[in-house]
Amino acid sequence: MQNKTLRYLVVATLLFFFKVTTAQEKPELNISRIDSTLIQNANAVVRSEEVITEINSINSITTRTKRIVTVLNKDGKGYADVYESYSPSIKIKKLEAIVYDASGNKIKTYKKKDFSDVSAYDGYSLMNDNRVKFFEYTPLRYPYTLVYESEVETTSTAFIAPWVPIFGYRLSVEKSNFKILNPASISIRLKETNFDEFSVESTKSDQKVSYFISNVSAKVKEVYSPSFYDLVPVAKVALDEFSLEGVQGAASDWKSLGKWQFDELLSGRDQLSEETIKKVNELVSAAKTNKEKAKLIYQYVQNKTRYVSVQLGIGGWMPFLASDVDRLGYGDCKALTNYTKALLDSQGIPSYYAVVYGGRNKRDIDAEFASMQGNHVILNIPEENEDLWLECTNQTMPFNFIGDFTDDRNVLVVTPDGGKIKKTKKYEPQENVLRTTATVKLKTDKSMVAGIKKVSEGLEYGWNSNIQFETLKDQKLKYKEYWGYINALAIHEINLKDNKDSIKFTENIKVSSLSYAKKVGKRLLVTPNLFGCDQSNLPRYENRKTSMVISHGYINTDEYIINLPNGYTFKSLPEKKSIETEFGSYTYELEKITDSQIKFKRFLKIIDGIFTKEKYEEYRKFRSDIKKIDKTRIVLIDHKN
Amino acid sequence: MKNFNVLLLSLALLLSVNNFAQEYKFGKVSKAELLEISYPTDSSANAAILYESKNIYYDYNQSYGFRLITEVYKRVKFYNQKGFENASEEIFLYKSSGTKEEISSLKGITYSLIDNKIVETKLKKEGVFEDEYSENRDQLKFTMPSLTEGSIVEFKYKIISPFIYNIDKIYLQQKIPIKKLNVKISMPEYFNFKKNMTGYLPIDLKQSRGNGKIAFNTKSGAGRHYGVNTVSRNEIDYTIDINTITATNIPAFKVEPYCGNSDNYLSSIVYELQFERYPNRPIKHYSTTWEAVAKSVFKHPKFGGELKKNSYFKEEVDQIIGKISDPVRRTALLYDFVKHKMTWNRKYASITRNGVKKAYNEGVGNSAEINIMLISILDYAGLDVKPVLVSSINKTISLFPTLEGFDYVIARVKLDKKILYLDATDKYGEPNVLPDRVIHGSGRVIAENGTSQLVNFRPNKVSRIHHSVTCQLSEEGAIRGKQSTNRSFYLAHNFRAKHGSEKNEAHIKRVQKNYEFDDINSYELKGVKDIGKAVSERFEFNIEEGIEVIDKELFFSPLLFLRNGENIFKSDEREYPIDFGYGYSRSVMLNIKIPEGYEIVEAPKGSAFKLPENMGNFVYRSSVIGDSIQISVTETLSTPFVPANYYPVLKQFYNQIVEKEGEQVVLKKV
Repeated sequence: MQNKTLRYLVVATLLFFFKVTTAQEKPELNISRIDSTLIQNANAVVRSEEVITEINSINSITTRTKRIVTVLNKDGKGYADVYESYSPSIKIKKLEAIVYDASGNKIKTYKKKDFSDVSAYDGYSLMNDNRVKFFEYTPLRYPYTLVYESEVETTSTAFIAPWVPIFGYRLSVEKSNFKILNPASISIRLKETNFDEFSVESTKSDQKVSYFISNVSAKVKEVYSPSFYDLVPVAKVALDEFSLEGVQGAASDWKSLGKWQFDELLSGRDQLSEETIKKVNELVSAAKTNKEKAKLIYQYVQNKTRYVSVQLGIGGWMPFLASDVDRLGYGDCKALTNYTKALLDSQGIPSYYAVVYGGRNKRDIDAEFASMQGNHVILNIPEENEDLWLECTNQTMPFNFIGDFTDDRNVLVVTPDGGKIKKTKKYEPQENVLRTTATVKLKTDKSMVAGIKKVSEGLEYGWNSNIQFETLKDQKLKYKEYWGYINALAIHEINLKDNKDSIKFTENIKVSSLSYAKKVGKRLLVTPNLFGCDQSNLPRYENRKTSMVISHGYINTDEYIINLPNGYTFKSLPEKKSIETEFGSYTYELEKITDSQIKFKRFLKIIDGIFTKEKYEEYRKFRSDIKKIDKTRIVLIDHKN
Repeated sequence: MKNFNVLLLSLALLLSVNNFAQEYKFGKVSKAELLEISYPTDSSANAAILYESKNIYYDYNQSYGFRLITEVYKRVKFYNQKGFENASEEIFLYKSSGTKEEISSLKGITYSLIDNKIVETKLKKEGVFEDEYSENRDQLKFTMPSLTEGSIVEFKYKIISPFIYNIDKIYLQQKIPIKKLNVKISMPEYFNFKKNMTGYLPIDLKQSRGNGKIAFNTKSGAGRHYGVNTVSRNEIDYTIDINTITATNIPAFKVEPYCGNSDNYLSSIVYELQFERYPNRPIKHYSTTWEAVAKSVFKHPKFGGELKKNSYFKEEVDQIIGKISDPVRRTALLYDFVKHKMTWNRKYASITRNGVKKAYNEGVGNSAEINIMLISILDYAGLDVKPVLVSSINKTISLFPTLEGFDYVIARVKLDKKILYLDATDKYGEPNVLPDRVIHGSGRVIAENGTSQLVNFRPNKVSRIHHSVTCQLSEEGAIRGKQSTNRSFYLAHNFRAKHGSEKNEAHIKRVQKNYEFDDINSYELKGVKDIGKAVSERFEFNIEEGIEVIDKELFFSPLLFLRNGENIFKSDEREYPIDFGYGYSRSVMLNIKIPEGYEIVEAPKGSAFKLPENMGNFVYRSSVIGDSIQISVTETLSTPFVPANYYPVLKQFYNQIVEKEGEQVVLKKV
């Protein structure tokens, strides 16, 4: 009763409150106008968006944006967050945001002066000169609609923001329009992807390009799906003649764009002092091949430098001078790569600056569209039979090992003769191996002691070797979490060996648990797979929409000698189990050595690749079967009784 | 229950200081230090502070008056490249209405041993960066050049501050070990500071006295008749209170799980100005007692001033309370009114920013605006209500009187003998059920007459979760059955806060993924909207291969998928308390019907164990009735806050639970 009264009163007062404060109304913003198919799975709806990019000259582009987004719930709030970044080369000319309630009544207007202004901390730079204007709106209730307008002018035209009308998961689009106005008919290039799948309408002339998309329902993120940008329409834009932080350029393909980058951003920044060159001469004097020399130089750079990011003006694109890095001992990826290149040059070893998208999810530099791309730089040494790749920002990585951050993807190699697209090293499943062996002693009191040896190679090296840099306390914690399913696990000894020459990481660990086995009457229940239980838990999809991408393959093998408790033996051992699929294979095997000793063997191979969406369920089943078999237990019986 | 705030106070034990300790002078780094390959008492340290000195004193200058000077000097050793992240320093410089802190005399040198020779590289301008961080703070960063494994860096700088009443908190412990630390604070007799220390490390603080001089020139008013001004030099002697802290081999600080704000346990010392006393001038008091703080809060325009306003809500509140006179109903109605009307902008504040009136009109406010509004509304309605100043989870708790130690406000209402704490920023809040950000903090209820009292928000009552399962096993190892789960009090609140706005579909997915069900049906959720009541979920489930079949026998833990499989505590030791926020009780009742034609060969026996001082207990009961096994398990942790010395028994308690819940049932074909 009390609650009812309260609810009534609250509603009444809120209505009253609204009557007083609302003046302007925009019925077209009312959420009832949104088609129900656009509401499904959506956290926000782009009601309309219009982006007009006007190319005033090769030194000036003005972008006018008007975006109307209805936020349906709190998870969609991010899609209406408004921020506009600026820097010495980007000027914000207009900035305004108006918030409307669900029925289209105006709640609040934000003018440029109401926006907060902060330094754009990118998460890793010690210093950069980008700043951001943003406003924080606290939604009173959902849904609400935000109308946002801005006008921004940039003098750096080398990088033009692409059109990405669907800019996130659980976001539907009522309509979105992109226009390029080009009154001076400056020569531009365009690349459109996924336009057909989404029925994007386009009209083009010398002076105008227009794209339009409407009624796209929200996409839901699925595990193992391709990168979001491969799933939605994207239009990339570039000028044949452009300017970058005051540096002019002209290019229409990778060859010429690479040439420009080499001439304008890299050339002449590789001078080293006589003294340094002399030092390098001495360093490599005993080495015979270029590869051996390069390895010594790489290690020299690793010992001498560290990664510190400073991005100011053209410094965001141009490396520090090699001589500065030599003196200061630090720099960002551009600076450290350029420095390593300079040191190699001094020994007559050709090497090239290579622009890449770094990240665990592989992303290619678009081979078909030359524009300013990438977020990271590595070094390429073209040897006769192979390409060597060096990650110059890491002090501990082995020579010619790039791990899963820059592997198997298209990069732009910048040479004095121009740019070239090359693919970085792909690590095949059989190269990425984790071998676990163990000797286990089970005891009659349920306890277990074991010595475990894990040897990692290839990408497994990259995934496992970082534990050596943790403190002992954290190392113990990591192992306890890794084998979290073993209760009261104690870690007694940790012995780690990092062999950088053979790129092999070895972990020797001594562990014990006071209660590994389960005692049930006269029986002891034991899981022979002590240290290699699959713990994945993949979701089911009734109707999966995207194809399945396994980005990296690997092989895991396990082999344990298990000594049974004194006086205990087994009646039978489970049969060998094998599963073969196109994603990989799995075997589980127990072998009797003596009555009191058994051998456990496990093999798992996962193959990378792109599979159709229908295959996902098969893969899920594969992993779920493995997980079940992994947990298989055996019964031990006290044979004296 | 142990008092949270008392535990925060460290016992300042006196350690004897090694008289033969090494001398540290800027520019004098030894070869031996450069050769050191690991930190002697913690070989896992990637870097260590070999020496840190902080000299804080007051400097007098006729044109500025007193200024607060902080001189910092650090020597840092890098044992390996992972330690290099400690080679950059960040300094914040406060500014306010035209005056600002300034940094001077920044010097840095990197020392490396190359070919058995010490090579020095100086920090230059190119390695120093300045930026405007926020309205009130500038930021200066620098990074040291030319590091190699084994390098040592030294840097020193001076901060000159016109904000003489604020001595920043001095940290006596860091994320990396400190070999030697020297802190000296010199305070002229004119400023009276009170100090307080936190952390679990012993701190050796010595007090002594020194002398200072103020020199100033006065123009004596010789007068018009003579046409000459004489300038005379005057001096005033004053005494200086000196505090010195010397410590050696300070271990690195580690963050542990379940600790609230770990900074509360970091060793530090804080100075708070009590009063200013210049000769021939009246004493000027700053916060000295809780009484004074309480009184000043009520006079503060952005607190007390805001509290007094009531015209903005009168009309609506009058309407709501109408003829209702029962104070309990009034409280409930008005609390709900503010909770529904206001949306928290996620800003923590102990004072208003835009004011309650604007907040009320826009429906948005910070924690002070919303709860000050709540307090005035309840007060207007004649209830016995008082503000509670809160140090939230984001704020290190201040152990002596100051408004600065708080960043949040809530309300306390007294009804007959019942006390209710209310926070209207939390849409899912209910009386005495406070959001995590508050419950892990600490509060002080204040009254206008200056009385105040420390408040601990951690409830005495435990929050419950109860699972009840009825199921049938098949010969092949499948489990099919029904489950209901009830959550009460904080567990209901947290469920609402996390999942309250989700759709049915999302609930089903969550449950299915959580328990790894093959199928889930007839999912029902009740009570989510009825704040104050329990939340209950019911569903039917199916697991194809839930039970393991070995040699034609069936093996399983009778807790099935509800068994607690992993201990949350994994560290071998712990230096500071475990803060759960609230006590809880988890109970599970299962009724498992075994497949036809099978008999029970083994089943776990009943068992019970407990934690000392009634902090918690665990009870396991099992019985076999016909072809069914019945299991009932209750795990209770009644103490939300467990002191560090109980960590080993607490860890052991959870180990025993995991162990007991893993015990097996064996079924055999008859």
